[in-house]
Amino acid sequence: MTLVFDKLRKQYGQVVAIDDVTTSFAPGLIHGLIGPNGAGKSTLINMTAGSYSVSSGSIALDGKRLDTLKKYQIANSRVARTYQNIRLFDQMTVLENLEVCFYPADVGGTWKEVVWPPYASARREKRREKCMDILRFFDLQGYAETDAGSLPYGRQRMLEIARALVCEPRVLLLDEPAAGLNHHETAELTARLAAQRVPDRITIVVEHDMDLVMKLCDNIIVMHHGKLLFQGTPAEVQASPDVQLAYLGTANDIDEIRAAAQDRRAQLGIRARRRS
Amino acid sequence: MSVAETLTAAKPHSGRAISFLVFAIAIALIAASPFLPNYYVRVINSLLIYILLGIGLNIVIGYTGLLDLGFVAFYAVGAYSYALLASPQLDLHWPFLAILPVAACLGAATGILLGIPVLRLRGDYLAIVTLGFGEIIRIIINNLDWLTGGPKGIARLDKASILGIQVARPIDFFWLLLITVLVAGVLVWRLERSILGKAWAAIREDQDAARGIGINTTNAKLAAFATSATIGSIAGAIFAASQRFVSPESFTLQESVLIVLMIVIGGIGNILGIVAGAAILMLLPEVLREFAEWRILFLGLLMIFLIIVRPAGIVPRSFGPDKLIRRLFGK
Ligand SMILES: Nc1ncnc2c1ncn2[C@@H]1O[C@H](COP(=O)(O)OP(=O)(O)OP(=O)(O)O)[C@@H](O)[C@H]1O
Ligand SMILES: [Mg+2]
Repeated sequence: MTLVFDKLRKQYGQVVAIDDVTTSFAPGLIHGLIGPNGAGKSTLINMTAGSYSVSSGSIALDGKRLDTLKKYQIANSRVARTYQNIRLFDQMTVLENLEVCFYPADVGGTWKEVVWPPYASARREKRREKCMDILRFFDLQGYAETDAGSLPYGRQRMLEIARALVCEPRVLLLDEPAAGLNHHETAELTARLAAQRVPDRITIVVEHDMDLVMKLCDNIIVMHHGKLLFQGTPAEVQASPDVQLAYLGTANDIDEIRAAAQDRRAQLGIRARRRS
Repeated sequence: MSVAETLTAAKPHSGRAISFLVFAIAIALIAASPFLPNYYVRVINSLLIYILLGIGLNIVIGYTGLLDLGFVAFYAVGAYSYALLASPQLDLHWPFLAILPVAACLGAATGILLGIPVLRLRGDYLAIVTLGFGEIIRIIINNLDWLTGGPKGIARLDKASILGIQVARPIDFFWLLLITVLVAGVLVWRLERSILGKAWAAIREDQDAARGIGINTTNAKLAAFATSATIGSIAGAIFAASQRFVSPESFTLQESVLIVLMIVIGGIGNILGIVAGAAILMLLPEVLREFAEWRILFLGLLMIFLIIVRPAGIVPRSFGPDKLIRRLFGK
């Protein structure tokens, strides 16, 4: 099972956001997608998940085209995602935010749920068991009945990742999962994502926090101006002069990249606090 | 006790007393109905019809978050189904129980007919298009003289009878409506709690994110429109049978707006709220009958007052029927 981009291209009018990208992602690994602001990382995630259309080229999972499907059909091919700006169902409880993910599997039994209470409780119980498992994994079990919108920012990030994981996706797309988290929360997130490295899952993480990327990822893809600049292990990326140039112009060590990432995190932290 | 429980368990005692009081009044009202003069039974009947309409429209507005201002169209479809199939107009005299499924199906079909063109619309645009749809249906009825009798309407509808029992007096309709409201209320409440109900809520909160977790929003929205329209249509059929006369005047935009107001004042997305909203909007004019000229003013002031003190409605979404039952009979 692999995820393949073939001459993938995205244009917004005259702006070329993704410029003929060809690459593939192996299962069982966590792939880091990094690059400066505006490099096209989110665009790539959005096209894979079906949020944006593809200008030309193709995306295929297991040889099956994804780019011709509608967004909900892509999700039903077990491609799950989080968003750069958190998008939860704010006025639903934490538990409901996860439960609703079983809609594609359970919608056929809706009328039976309505008229036959024992069936409804059995289904609900089954759904909730799975949801509670993943909530416990993210240490959110105490919030099960709280509205998602009233959770603290860091917990909202965790819940969004939990929502992406609850139906055991084959492809997990995370757009800046650590944005706005403090050191402690980022460390917890890193450990949890590492624990979710399962053999039949392709995980792609877009992230500016180099610490997290270097610790977590098996393979790193560096993007610049919509093109693939470099691909390799964390050690290879750190050693690559091209990457340093792309990030900082004339930087000569990884510490400066980290400092830039730190700056950005501080920025996002402020944005996050304003939001809540 | 978890943080969540502490936060939600506010003031259980006063809440419980109020719940009991309201519950007792409702039971007393139901028990007293057979002994009330016909006039009051009619008022209660129209209250029940509005509750039924509110339960239907709430599926689209409250659960799915789509502002539909053309709901009265489905009410009209149901009413005219009865009027045409049980009157001298076409010289058809079907039994009530045979008309009900026809009205329900026609209602559902009309609901889907409205649903398809507005799938892409939300908010204000949706409100305007649905409003137009309601008016189109009314104008069609008004102009289709050969079929609907035009502005004169259709009179001398058959007396309804169910399994040989005649349903003609106000009190008969009271029982019919009470049963219908209870059945519809329970079914719709269970629908809200089903997986489809959760999907409706997700669409209401963030349609695009809902697609992102695999919800076919087209189907889910059409299901909402269809169920909502079915209930509206059934209410219309019962309304026609009880009035034994229909005319386009009963299906104006004002009716749609009234039902929306009931939902908003009572508590959007909550069946208990609809009961409260309908009670206020229906009973207030009766109580204030002596001050007829001032009624609209009172209503306006009441609404401003409620929007300030209870912006989420009299009974907020979080206080659903399950909470009420737990508070009345649970620990
Ligand atoms: N909806 C859009 N319309 C027009 N241009 C867009 C749109 N979305 C993104 N772009 C442009 O496409 C380019 C890539 O944007 P993208 O959001 O993918 O970058 P990114 O790598 O995710 O950056 P960041 O790290 O800031 O999130 C940018 O030049 C951006 O301005
Ligand atoms: Mg981005």
